[in-house]
Amino acid sequence: MMRLIALAALFVPALFGQEQFIDWLTNYRQALTVAKAAKKPIFLEFRCEA
Amino acid sequence: MEGRVFDAQVVLSPKDSPLGKVLSEYVCVRIVRMDDVDVGLFDRDWNNAIYFFVLNSDEQIYMRYGGRESQSPDTYNSLDSLRVALEQGLTLHQKYLQGSLAKQERPKPLSPRDMPLLVERTFAQRQCVECHLIGDFQNIQRERDGKLDKLSQLYRSPDIKTIGISLDVPKGLVVKEATGAVAAAGMKPGDRIAAWNGVPVYTFGDVQYRYDKVDRRAKDVNITVDRGGQAVELKVDLPARWWWTDLRFRQSSVDPRLDFEDRPLTSEQKQKLGLKPDSFASQVKYVSEMAKVRNTHDLQVGDVIAAVDGVDHDEFAHTAELYLKLHTKAGETAKLEVIRDGKRITMPIQTYVLSFRK
Repeated sequence: MMRLIALAALFVPALFGQEQFIDWLTNYRQALTVAKAAKKPIFLEFRCEA
Repeated sequence: MEGRVFDAQVVLSPKDSPLGKVLSEYVCVRIVRMDDVDVGLFDRDWNNAIYFFVLNSDEQIYMRYGGRESQSPDTYNSLDSLRVALEQGLTLHQKYLQGSLAKQERPKPLSPRDMPLLVERTFAQRQCVECHLIGDFQNIQRERDGKLDKLSQLYRSPDIKTIGISLDVPKGLVVKEATGAVAAAGMKPGDRIAAWNGVPVYTFGDVQYRYDKVDRRAKDVNITVDRGGQAVELKVDLPARWWWTDLRFRQSSVDPRLDFEDRPLTSEQKQKLGLKPDSFASQVKYVSEMAKVRNTHDLQVGDVIAAVDGVDHDEFAHTAELYLKLHTKAGETAKLEVIRDGKRITMPIQTYVLSFRK
């Protein structure tokens, strides 16, 4: 059941467009560069999905 | 899968939601492969499948978010407490930009690619570097090098409930109920935990990480709470085995698997059986059906284990099961002295090593 909810949640952006959701980078080095330029802090998630 | 729903809720936060508005002030990054993670900088309990850090572009870590208790991976994850934490993170970041936040020394870098066992058994096999593998291979290497301290490296992440702290989880570090050791020290419901042994803490993840750093031989810990805007210092006396947690959720190869569980004998029971008052003699309360399949031992429910390899007393263990966990290498054999139906018998126990895809 939980798996279905999560999968459904992952497809929501595809159905309704991405712009309403937070943008996530997937490259740590890139995040450091972007944060430095924008003077923003970084919120880093480690997610082990295996 | 641990944390799947919470992960989806965070990642798919609408920009106009309370959490989304705070997240918009951050550069958000999500890493799902651990191959190139700096294990030194991002040190944590690797048996958490989801974990967060708040930091800046100089790699100064402001706080951690995540952590779990043995019973559940989700107890301390809450969108509300995450929002509270991230708001505090923004304040800390402003202080850092203004130069009013002290810089921390960067921990020594450590790449998973520099960990020989991980390279040999995971990278070389083109398998995914799962979080728990990092922690487990670290411990296997420590054991091989004779440097494994099971008290702190197997029994990671002590449980704050053991000393009586129940948090009002959506409010972050606000105490919902204080009992036991912390109540005796003066902690009250409504207090907000602000520092642990002098180090500022903002989240449950911070508290658990700092608690984990406490020497397992420590007799007390200093907790600072915010009570109505006033800082109150509390010296909390730590109970025996405050560091103990149920290891069953951990995928650990250095944890000798025993196929039984026990309970400590009372003083009266020990006296009746002629056992020393300070012995770790214990009574078997559960025997796994796998014990026969694996030929682990011949223990029966109700047996009393009086000694292990001729030893009946230990500084840390109060049961034979814990003594075996702390002093036996997974895979080794030990000799049990058992009292069954009033008679003393000896029997071997063959511990076994958990194996999983490596």
